[in-house]
Amino acid sequence: MFDLLKLACNTASKAGCQFADARYLSIRKQRVVSRDHALSSCSEGDDRGFGVRVLYQGAWGFAASPTYTADEIEKVVALAMRIARASALALRDGGVKWAPEAAFTLDFKSSCIQDPFRVALEDKAELLISANEVMLKNKSIKRAQGFLSFKHVERWYVNTEGSELHSDVTSSESAIWAIAVGNDDFQERNWKAPASNQGFECYRKEEFLNQAERVAAEAEEKLSARLSPEGDFDIITDSENLSLTIHESVGHATELDRVMGYEVSMAGSSFVTRDKQGDFRYGSDQVTLMADNTLENGLATQGFDDDGVPGQRWEIVRDGIFQTYSSGREFAHYIGEERSRGSCRADHWSSIPIVRIPNLFLMPGKTPLSPEALMSDVKHGLYFEGMDSFSIDQWRLNFQFGGNAVWEIKNGKKAGMLKAALYQSRTPTFWNACDATCDENYWQPHGVTNCGKGDPMQIAQMTHGAAPTRFRNIRICRGRDS
Amino acid sequence: MNRRQSQDLIASILDLPHEGELQVLLNGVERLGTRFNDCAISQNVLKQQATLTLNARLEQKKTSVSINALDDQELIKRSVEQVFATCRHMPDDEEVMPALGDVLPSREHAFSESKAIEIETVGAWAAQACKAGAAAGIDLAGLLAHGKMFTAYGDSAGGFAHERYHRSDYHVTATGTNGSGWAEHQGISIAQSDVMAATRRAIDKCAEAQNPVVFEPRPVTVILEPQAVGDLMSMAFWYGFDQRAKDEGRSPFSDFDATLGRLSFYSDPADAVFPTIAFSSDGQALGKSVWLDAGKLQQLLTNRYWAHKNDLAVKPAPNNLVLSGDGTSLDDLVRSTEDGILVTRFWYIRSTDARTLGFTGMTRDGTYRIENGEVTHPVVDMRWNESVLRVLGNIVASGQPVATGEFMSMAMPALKVEDFHFSSLSN
Repeated sequence: MFDLLKLACNTASKAGCQFADARYLSIRKQRVVSRDHALSSCSEGDDRGFGVRVLYQGAWGFAASPTYTADEIEKVVALAMRIARASALALRDGGVKWAPEAAFTLDFKSSCIQDPFRVALEDKAELLISANEVMLKNKSIKRAQGFLSFKHVERWYVNTEGSELHSDVTSSESAIWAIAVGNDDFQERNWKAPASNQGFECYRKEEFLNQAERVAAEAEEKLSARLSPEGDFDIITDSENLSLTIHESVGHATELDRVMGYEVSMAGSSFVTRDKQGDFRYGSDQVTLMADNTLENGLATQGFDDDGVPGQRWEIVRDGIFQTYSSGREFAHYIGEERSRGSCRADHWSSIPIVRIPNLFLMPGKTPLSPEALMSDVKHGLYFEGMDSFSIDQWRLNFQFGGNAVWEIKNGKKAGMLKAALYQSRTPTFWNACDATCDENYWQPHGVTNCGKGDPMQIAQMTHGAAPTRFRNIRICRGRDS
Repeated sequence: MNRRQSQDLIASILDLPHEGELQVLLNGVERLGTRFNDCAISQNVLKQQATLTLNARLEQKKTSVSINALDDQELIKRSVEQVFATCRHMPDDEEVMPALGDVLPSREHAFSESKAIEIETVGAWAAQACKAGAAAGIDLAGLLAHGKMFTAYGDSAGGFAHERYHRSDYHVTATGTNGSGWAEHQGISIAQSDVMAATRRAIDKCAEAQNPVVFEPRPVTVILEPQAVGDLMSMAFWYGFDQRAKDEGRSPFSDFDATLGRLSFYSDPADAVFPTIAFSSDGQALGKSVWLDAGKLQQLLTNRYWAHKNDLAVKPAPNNLVLSGDGTSLDDLVRSTEDGILVTRFWYIRSTDARTLGFTGMTRDGTYRIENGEVTHPVVDMRWNESVLRVLGNIVASGQPVATGEFMSMAMPALKVEDFHFSSLSN
């Protein structure tokens, strides 16, 4: 498989390129969706092709094709060169500055004990439909749904520096949800089996059935929940809820390409400007946010990135102080770093790599602290569980997030469900309001599989994680009028 | 792929041995996307892709397989075998419907007769836009993309449809020292003059957006420019405009009988402002579907199963959205506003309450104060929390629909809306 990719790089070198790389991807997908007592769809996909990226006289060119032959390689390299020449019509000062990386070889394979593509469709149907049937036993539930989604990506990468890399990654994702109708309202409650780079072994029927019963009961309870109060309250977020807040307010905010304006026309820029590196107080001293593209089973763990840089682990925030960004080889020089953090990924063989959020998580508290003890120190507050409405401005400052289920906390205990509760804050205000996070026994990972960025849009996946965490005096507003 | 080539390929696939019913969908795209920022091209990507999707039906069982190698006869043959093999293992679903078998004429509403745009031409246009930004001392960032596509459908019941179409997308953000502006050109064709006109609008917006001041968030009259209207209406449509959800009590429109203002909201592949492909991925012809007729709710999205079960007309998912307008110019909308906010665009709209069709979002890239009929100064961007039902009911004037939407083809007017709820400040 490497031979034609080497041909691409050699051809580009001979044509005078400063750098070139070539990737071949084989992507296999399956998605099974349930609706009440049936499967509403089962779709499978097989998608293969290669892309060639050339850096010629300081400008990028990229072209791709599904036809993997020597003749086509020559054509695609020539096309990429032609595009690079067109790119040079408006060239940045001195052109692209490309961080060096020593050549290496790697063969990475993610853990996959039970290949999901070899599991019978009947078993997948049984898992989803039996969970739906448990949810539908609750008379308030008018619609029960679920899905299983699997992806296998095999990737070969070669560059003009001599790296020869191969990865073989299987990812799995599932969720079930119920919609309850009544009390002049309808409400949805879900459970997500954390997405990860693992196989079918992470799904157990017993857990699906237990979660289905809870999901249905809580969907029904949401119908009669009272509307959330408004004002300033202490809040506790569960690990799933905080994972999305980490993603939006830290992950995207610390992508170096965004900081340098490369995403202004679409996803926006960032308030975390370069002058903040090393001394900006992002959060309280309880807040250490770790990036780790070597995290076991992490969705962004794939051995190496699409710039040909190995996966790494680094601190983005340490004890509340901002340390450094996620970067790629094109961007490291902007912050005086000699090496990329290895966080540039493309979502397809026909897509160009861009800086993506790594696996990123809030480190658990260093002293023993249970969720019950965390809640016991809240006189009147709210507990947010799961992901719901999420919106953040183009500088990653003003945000407003909901939860899939929210409870009122009174005198240190849960005191009934609330409807339409949202927390609204500004990123540094929020993270500086963090006064405690539970210990490692309560830390959980959660996968994000639909991270959109780039223009045209690319979809990436990564893992976040946290233990239940408390924030003081956060503004609560409502998504529904009283 | 032209009609004849598509027809031949689909016929050869339908001729492969198979049991039951087979539907074949072909999609192809060739699209150059040139991205720039800080007045320099940063990304230049040519996408040439095709996808073949096979849908197998065995009585009440249905599955699909897609591949991207249209010239690999062996892979296609294996894929046909695979899709039926998987289908046999599916549980029955009463909602599976047979193929229609309709032969649809070539109408090509969204096909542009203008010539193909060469890679070097796109690069030159982007470079010229960058120069205009540099001359104004303003950073420009944007995407200039133009592509040609085709979609073809055929089924073993005799159905066939094919269309070629074009899609152009230019959007540009101009950023100054303390404020930004934005503009776009959307449609089925693009010329250098379109690129430069949008570039100049963004630069002008940026110049007017410098040094914004705080407007304390409160309910106030807003004038929403077409992109803001399109972003909001498309989110509302996909969240709320489903007939089955309405009938089953899972919709903001369940037990709903109010009139939502006086504008009409519809989809029409033959729309003059933003035409689109006129058939769905399962070979159904798409005609005009009216969702709100002068504010009055009509039958919503209805799939073939729900239509059959409830004796309703089928209303397939559309490829575009149009909101009518009364043609008032933006200047006149501003002149008639004593106390308000002018919004260029929205950002990051998300649902906050499905029951009331409530959403939140931010203003972005050009938000201005209107006082006594004049735009007086830029204001700091704000978050809003608002129900689309209330927005539609509070429209007091509107403009002429124009093409908008990077992710969905839309024709939307500017709207003047009273009592719009801003809730907090941005940067």
